[in-house]
Amino acid sequence: MECLCKEKELTDEQKYDQLKEFIDENRDKKGYLIPVLHKAQTIFGYLSSETRSFVAREMDIAISIVVGVVTFYSYFKLFPAGRHTITVCLGTACYVRGAKKILEALEKKLGIKIGETTEDRRFSLGAQRCLGACGLAPVIMIGKDIHGRMSAQKLDAIVEQYK
Amino acid sequence: MYNLRTHILLCYGGACISSGAESVKEAMDKAINEAGIQNEVDVITTGCMGTCELGPIMIVYPDGVFYQKVKPEDAEEIVQEHLLKGRVVKRLFYKKPKTEEMVGMFNDIDFFKLQKKTALRNCGIINPLDIEEYIASDGYMALGKALTEMTPCKVIEEIKGSGLRGRGGAGFPTGLKWELTAASGGKQKYVVCNADEGDPGAFMDRSILEGDPHSVMEAMMICGYAIGADQGYVYVRAEYPLAVERLSLAIEQAKKNELLGENIFGTGFNFDIEIRMGAGAFVCGEETALMRSIEGMRGEPRPKPPFPAQKGLFDCPTVLNNVETFANISYIILHGADDFASVGTEKSRGTKVFALAGDINNTGLIEIPIGMPLGTIIYDIGGGIPNNKKLKAVQIGGPSGGCIPVQHLNVPVDYESLQELGAIMGSGGLIVMDDDTCMVDLARYFMEFIQEESCGKCTPCRQGTRIMLDILTDICNGKGRMDDLDILEELSFQIKQTSLCGLGQTAPNPIIATLKYFREEYIEHIRDKKCRAGVCSKLVYAPCSNVCPASVNVPAYLAYTKEGNLKQALKVHLKTNPFPAVCGRVCPHQCEAKCRRNDIDSAVSIRSVKRFIAEEDYPECFPEKQNPNGIKIAVIGSGPSGLSNAYFLTMLGYDVTVFESEPKAGGMLTYAIPSYRLPNNIVEKEIQALCEYGVKIRTNTNVGRDISIDELREKEFKAFYIASGAWDSIMPSIEGIDNEKVMAGLDFLYKVNNEEKVSVGKEVVVIGGGNTAIDAARTAKRLGADVTIVYRRTREEMPAEIEEIKEAENEGIKIQLLQNIKSVKSINNKLEVEFVKMRLSEFDKSGRRKPVEIEASSFAKKIDLLILAIGQKPSLGTLFDKGLKKDMFAGGDVKTGPSTVVEAIGEAQRAAEAIDKYLTGGREEYPWNIMDPIEVDFDPEEEPVSHNRAKNILIPLKERKSFTEVEKTWNRETACKEADRCLRCEYKKEEEDI
Amino acid sequence: MKNLEELRQIRYKVKKNLQMRSGKHKVRIVVCMATCGIAAGARQTMNTLSDLIGKSDRDDVVITTSGCAGFCEQEPMIQIYIEDKEPVAYGKVDSKAAEEIFKKHILNGRIVERYLFSKGK
Repeated sequence: MECLCKEKELTDEQKYDQLKEFIDENRDKKGYLIPVLHKAQTIFGYLSSETRSFVAREMDIAISIVVGVVTFYSYFKLFPAGRHTITVCLGTACYVRGAKKILEALEKKLGIKIGETTEDRRFSLGAQRCLGACGLAPVIMIGKDIHGRMSAQKLDAIVEQYK
Repeated sequence: MYNLRTHILLCYGGACISSGAESVKEAMDKAINEAGIQNEVDVITTGCMGTCELGPIMIVYPDGVFYQKVKPEDAEEIVQEHLLKGRVVKRLFYKKPKTEEMVGMFNDIDFFKLQKKTALRNCGIINPLDIEEYIASDGYMALGKALTEMTPCKVIEEIKGSGLRGRGGAGFPTGLKWELTAASGGKQKYVVCNADEGDPGAFMDRSILEGDPHSVMEAMMICGYAIGADQGYVYVRAEYPLAVERLSLAIEQAKKNELLGENIFGTGFNFDIEIRMGAGAFVCGEETALMRSIEGMRGEPRPKPPFPAQKGLFDCPTVLNNVETFANISYIILHGADDFASVGTEKSRGTKVFALAGDINNTGLIEIPIGMPLGTIIYDIGGGIPNNKKLKAVQIGGPSGGCIPVQHLNVPVDYESLQELGAIMGSGGLIVMDDDTCMVDLARYFMEFIQEESCGKCTPCRQGTRIMLDILTDICNGKGRMDDLDILEELSFQIKQTSLCGLGQTAPNPIIATLKYFREEYIEHIRDKKCRAGVCSKLVYAPCSNVCPASVNVPAYLAYTKEGNLKQALKVHLKTNPFPAVCGRVCPHQCEAKCRRNDIDSAVSIRSVKRFIAEEDYPECFPEKQNPNGIKIAVIGSGPSGLSNAYFLTMLGYDVTVFESEPKAGGMLTYAIPSYRLPNNIVEKEIQALCEYGVKIRTNTNVGRDISIDELREKEFKAFYIASGAWDSIMPSIEGIDNEKVMAGLDFLYKVNNEEKVSVGKEVVVIGGGNTAIDAARTAKRLGADVTIVYRRTREEMPAEIEEIKEAENEGIKIQLLQNIKSVKSINNKLEVEFVKMRLSEFDKSGRRKPVEIEASSFAKKIDLLILAIGQKPSLGTLFDKGLKKDMFAGGDVKTGPSTVVEAIGEAQRAAEAIDKYLTGGREEYPWNIMDPIEVDFDPEEEPVSHNRAKNILIPLKERKSFTEVEKTWNRETACKEADRCLRCEYKKEEEDI
Repeated sequence: MKNLEELRQIRYKVKKNLQMRSGKHKVRIVVCMATCGIAAGARQTMNTLSDLIGKSDRDDVVITTSGCAGFCEQEPMIQIYIEDKEPVAYGKVDSKAAEEIFKKHILNGRIVERYLFSKGK
């Protein structure tokens, strides 16, 4: 998934062109709805009702099916997220090593709960069942960066790196 | 390229990257260039090496030197010293946990030594981004062999013969799966690789995809050839971006090299692989749900049959294996089924990868022969439990698995044995938990997980898990009822029987397993409103008070001490524990082990503060007595449990008399604990205070011999608390033990404390590793002997307090480990003792390794006195000869076996409640259970004070020849300052209650 | 890649690269690379030896470095450790000497007396 944030912001039209191009390239592949939704979320950051309709139309799939799929999978977001998404791993290893305390500290620090975004759109907070970095438990992920051996004390310094 | 003399393998697994491996690589490249040796040395980035905890890690070849926790600033030294001058950088070596011994060579590290790598054979050895490295390690040779030398039938035969079973969890035979799919009709078939590794705590699939993606692709092609498929899908979690990236790159490289695509090796075989990303649905790990997801639908499972072998992806016959299963295939084809099958157990062949995580020293990824005992994995490979804590249980198999408690460490880790214990092999997540884990909360955690991930298609899973979660949440919040446990069991059974797919069918497993092994903990939550691990916040006042057997309000007396209000501090203490001076000296202070200040620097020195406040004057600090009711109670035994019980009952208004057979009161406090640890005048002072409070003590009166319980009944005593202690020593049945130069540890201490003359001679040997052994040894030393402690296990297993062991050694006492006595005989006024060396074998029920004699290793030594301190048992005398009646209660060591003072006090509280209930029907609340609000200002927003834990003051070694007390009490300033370090963990609790 | 033979050839070509990581090797050449050694040309000696190993059929020979051996006037010095044999040290090993030692001693097991410094540990 390429990161688009550093580029000049594309217009919506350009974004939809990009998505259409991707759909066209893969038209002959079977069951390609989910990869298209991934692509759309990469381009737009989330899947708005407009984007969902566009996908349904372009792929000739009933909108109800598209919505059914989008809402089934927790990875797909229906609302725009903050610039950085902080994900707290709540896998077993992290849990037994105190992930709950870290989540509480983050909620307190950011003033938001899981699934919410700060008012300044800087951070969104989420939780994951396992990030697969159990060896470094407890871990959090900010964007794509995994931060291991976390403690409530270390949070401030790490979160501050993300503007 | 051939003149490279050194390869530096730098782990680029996900964990090492997040620990900074990328900047290490940059720094290494720079330092190598600056040294001008870029043509001699290459830094190769590899997949996960397994030791995630130690990252970033590197291995320097050809030497095989292993460096851990490498930082970019170490690069210069590695290049200048190691690469140029051949001098290894020792400070980056691996240090063995506990012993701190340095190990430099990769092959010498236990973590690696005991492993056997098949599925992970290339992980951490080759650069996953370079197809040539894969080819160099025999990559694609298995595919070549299959395509050119083997028929599809032969391939399937080989896999069947290997005994390989699915590594994703259920353990279905892989060869059979292929055979069934091959036998299905239809032109189009598919090979699917399940890389939707969802079990929390398992990350081997991610590591294989990141570290050796080609091996999975090659295996999928071999499978395609065997079953007649030309299309493969890898279904991988979206949460694994690095795995997706590396796999995509590998596919690209294979296509470029015509190893993937059409007419592979000119044999006419075609195969293509496509990656499909999951989107965060746990249920998609279930095969039918996964295939629905690839088809672009909601990932809901469907009933089986039809099985995927007949009707799978897009309704075509499909083989679905997980990543680790595929990673074994090329090895089997190249080395043969027999080679693979030679490892493992009868029913479970080969090796299995496990992810070690949780409370264990060496976390990471390991691959071991199936059937290795669980204890070997945890202690030998995993390096044991950190911070001197105790292993409680091991969770295996994720949310579908169970927990294995410490008494089953000998279980061979294979599919069947684990199942017998209520766990499953699952995908191989192995989470180690120490006693800070609450098993009820763990069950609740898994249920919450399942509840969130249940797809909702079938009712038992959707609704049943909801109900179970609600019940478990109630129990954790102290609102559980005893019949909840039956409901949980009933629901577990129903959900298992009636759910549609594997997710629901296995969902109750964590509850079943914890109820089976840790039912006591559930009951404590429900009945006593207590969470022994200190996790369930609604039930925990503060971690220190929670773990204290007497539930002393630690934050309160620390807060008052900080303010200088010592009277109030002592008052708080005396409400729950009438022995602050004694406990301030001999308590093993579990409170400090749980102190949250440990996370910042180190625990508050709670015991030493306690010792200081005990200097205050008692009588005016005792709690008010309730109205006297005139009911007489007899307490038998004046040890800490008996006296405390008398104290608590006096507080409630009873008329209590304590009967003691010895001339002095105090039991073990007076007669067993040596006075250099606990001076007699301290014990006397506290007992005197109790007498002033109203407790009556009759010494020199042995109940049973001098007066019977029946006679006491006649004298209007209405209840009896029996706390006669555990004074009878356990003696080993060995030859020559009946000798005047052989003494039991307690007898020895009794004699010395009673000021009887004991001649120790020159050489004394004490057998045992508990507190009695250490007390005896330090006492004998003070009487002028050369003392050696002989213990049959290792230091880690010694039950004595660490501080006591250290002081014993400081005082010049030798400790010989892994030895035991075999026989004793008298020779010329000396004692000749035959010792034998021991080794540790399999694990016993306590989770420790059993010591066994090493054959022909015995040796003799002449000594003057042998003290045996290997165990004690309750001293009952004739008390129970007439049977146990309703008015008789027991507590302290006589009930629990040898334990601590504070444990005896806790016993006394519970017994006082039981006696009160028996006599008067009980009351709403008992004073010792009420945590009064702390009237000391506290600002939770303020930074905690920064000063470090104050040191205890010990008298110099040269002054330790007499029985002068070793430790000194702090002055007021030190104590108040130390008390101020408390973080006031109780603070929020009160707020919530209001 | 048209056929299996082609794969075998690539494998043969790159396999030697990986041999170093097996931790198994018969012959270990140690080049002294302290300041004195480098000043005397140890770097050149080592590169020559590396090249020779690369060009030979042998995949069980490795090179490592060490610090100053204390006989600075003998630099560049090398030591040769062959499995089951006592180690041999050579002094004043320039590129030419290295070539000769490699050919005679490493490939054919004959000690080159001319440059011999010491035998045994």
